[in-house]
Amino acid sequence: MEQDTQDFAAEARSFLDAHATKAPDRAARTWGQGDDSMAYFSSLPPEQEAEQVRRAREWQRIRYENGFGWITGPPEYGGRGLTPVHDLVYDAIESEYDVPDTGVLGVVGLGMIGPTILAHAQPHIKERWLPAMYRGDAIACQLFSEPDAGSDLASVTTRAVREGEEWVLSGQKVWTSVAQHSDVGLALTRTDPEAPKHRGITAFLVPMDAPGVEVRPLRQMTGGADFNEVFLTDVRVPDDHRLGEIDGGWTVALTTLMNERDTVGSEGAGPVAAALSPDHLSALMRATWTWDDRALRARLGELLVDVLATGHLNARAQRSLRAGVAPGPERSVAKLMYGQNLTRAAHFVGDCLGPRLIADTGQWGTYAWSELLLATPALRILGGTEEIMKNILAERVLGLPKEARA
Amino acid sequence: MSADASGLRELRASVGEFMAAKSPEEAVRKLMESEPRFDPDVWSQAADQLRLPALAIPEEYGGDGFGPVELGVVLEEMGRALFCSPFFSTVVLAAQALLASGDSEACARHLPGIAAGRTMATLAVAEEGGSWDPALISTRAVADADGGWKLSGRKGFVIDGTTADLILVVARTVAGPSFFAVDRAAPGVTAEAMETLDATRTLARLTFDAVPATPVGPDGAGGRIMAKVLDVASVGLAAEQAGGARRCLEMSVEHARTRHQFGRPIGSFQAVKHKCADMLVQVELAEASAREAALLAAGDAPDFPVAAAVAHACCSRAYMVAAMENIQVHGGIGFTWEHPAHLYFRRAKSSQLLFGGPAIYHERLLDRLGI
Ligand SMILES: Cc1cc2nc3c(=O)[nH]c(=O)nc-3n(C[C@H](O)[C@H](O)[C@H](O)COP(=O)(O)OP(=O)(O)OC[C@H]3O[C@@H](n4cnc5c(N)ncnc54)[C@H](O)[C@@H]3O)c2cc1C
Repeated sequence: MEQDTQDFAAEARSFLDAHATKAPDRAARTWGQGDDSMAYFSSLPPEQEAEQVRRAREWQRIRYENGFGWITGPPEYGGRGLTPVHDLVYDAIESEYDVPDTGVLGVVGLGMIGPTILAHAQPHIKERWLPAMYRGDAIACQLFSEPDAGSDLASVTTRAVREGEEWVLSGQKVWTSVAQHSDVGLALTRTDPEAPKHRGITAFLVPMDAPGVEVRPLRQMTGGADFNEVFLTDVRVPDDHRLGEIDGGWTVALTTLMNERDTVGSEGAGPVAAALSPDHLSALMRATWTWDDRALRARLGELLVDVLATGHLNARAQRSLRAGVAPGPERSVAKLMYGQNLTRAAHFVGDCLGPRLIADTGQWGTYAWSELLLATPALRILGGTEEIMKNILAERVLGLPKEARA
Repeated sequence: MSADASGLRELRASVGEFMAAKSPEEAVRKLMESEPRFDPDVWSQAADQLRLPALAIPEEYGGDGFGPVELGVVLEEMGRALFCSPFFSTVVLAAQALLASGDSEACARHLPGIAAGRTMATLAVAEEGGSWDPALISTRAVADADGGWKLSGRKGFVIDGTTADLILVVARTVAGPSFFAVDRAAPGVTAEAMETLDATRTLARLTFDAVPATPVGPDGAGGRIMAKVLDVASVGLAAEQAGGARRCLEMSVEHARTRHQFGRPIGSFQAVKHKCADMLVQVELAEASAREAALLAAGDAPDFPVAAAVAHACCSRAYMVAAMENIQVHGGIGFTWEHPAHLYFRRAKSSQLLFGGPAIYHERLLDRLGI
């Protein structure tokens, strides 16, 4: 096992050496030089965004063709058949290189929908979609939320009615990330309105180019439009695109949600990581002459305790995984903390910068932080709000009684 | 030597059982009003049956040669039970100070007795103001004509200072802060118990009046040794705090499940549920930071000083939050003398401030990070 991951790591390195360049050492990065973007969500003009998606697909294809696109996937669907540990090893090595950001494919599609298809779809549907997704050809989105079903996801009302070997879907989805680039979506629909709400739901894979699917961008408070409304009007989906049992879609949803909470808690690499980096924050304090401000130092100390302790929590969860033990509540706690830490970091930075956060002076590394600040509210909402995460921890981990529900 | 996962589980189980049998709440309450504040029989059993004082002392000095990870497991269990014993002062403070001094003669003289549970020891650093910064001490040691040393001054906040046989004192010499070993029975030593917020851990004021003292480690190396000792000790304390915080959470959850108001268990009210979830978040962070720091200490990793500072700050806050909210979840009953919640509250606050408190430990973290 030990030897095996070492061979694997060496193989990953030679692959990356051949196809990518080494990233500059983050610690050696100098303040005031390079890109100072702090964007968590993209707010690029459409042509640039299309180019970014193209590069993401291409890099995913290169990974896949070299055996690093789906490290844990079963070989019969194009995966490598290795363990989550190999995945961690690869991620750690890849983070030393400059490679295109594949978030558009990875976060929702490969991180959440892929595992759900693998667990619940029929074999020929897995063959149809999984290799395509992991090869970067098909982007997937999560068609769960609706205007009246957010935290209370089981109240979805999008209808699916059977007509022979097909189902006809009608309704409205909302907040759908990457729908504008997606080839397929996983939709939760109501198939039995009479049943208790968790029991009348069915899940379908919806090809996004099917007639009747309409995607309308929603502008976010960051200015960009990463998420969308998706209207489904008499969309016909074959029965073999159903995941799981008829009226058994809640089980399917739980698979996705579990993976979602795992995916969201991980520390983002790239520019956002700078917001939580002691080196970066201390450089900022020097640059803003707040270095010896006692009140700010005390706050930075408190913030860094949480940032570093959250890192320890993640490290321990990974170590459990390596030892073949299922981690406990660490990932859920880490997700909660990640949103809070970034939020506090963004406000801390604002207090160092003062007016330079509210109007652009053109100075490097100042107004750029406003992009991160504006993204932070989302991190306390997406993938289960803070309040919902606390309910989950209290009820599922601590075993407290369920809330009284209508 | 280090134990594997199942070894650690066994250690935890056996220490946990010992605590349940020897340190139930009644025992803690009885001891916190007696002198000494620990039960000598229980202490010898801990030494003879479980070899707890020997656990983290190197084999060459009569110990079992385990490291900070195993020590952390023991301290977590002791923290859960508010175990009244000289373990923290003797094994965590004094023994670690001896080891950190690099003085093999002093180690050979004192550690075997500590490992066997026969010698009780402590560390005297802070003075009137309570600061653990060796730069701020005024206790002095001077060499006399025949090559011996005489130590004079006053120390405060000395854990188990009235009962320890061996006192390691940080005193100023011409060369700077230095470590000395003092025998409590030596002429010129007086010890007086201080009144304490947390009655389960005694603190004393010690006066030294030209007391014969033996140097430990190089003259003037006290600052360097103290930095190391404080890291190791705060990680030990962090483990104890994590254990206490976990116990507070368990008490709250148990109560929230069974106490009914308005016809439902109070744990079904979201305000209470979220309090418990917040406590869980704190406890998870505390355990992760304390255990990770112990692991880094065991590996002598360069990241250890940062991790030690994180563990100290994180566990101090986590325990305080858990101890406060535990009382809130219990309502009026939580505010009674009879309920154990206040014992944890007292321990949490006094542990949080023992080495100086938030203003000091946040600065220490920044300092370690080079900020
Ligand atoms: C950037 C972003 C991307 C997203 N991407 C996707 C996506 O790709 N696909 C998708 O399906 N969805 C997506 N979502 C939707 C997301 O999952 C929901 O926004 C989220 O679950 C909250 O639902 P809601 O917005 O309807 O808020 P509501 O459920 O209306 O909540 C409003 C407030 O009430 C609180 N609240 C609700 N119920 C309770 C309760 N029981 N106890 C205590 N408080 C409660 C909430 O915590 C919140 O503070 C995305 C959201 C964001 C912000």
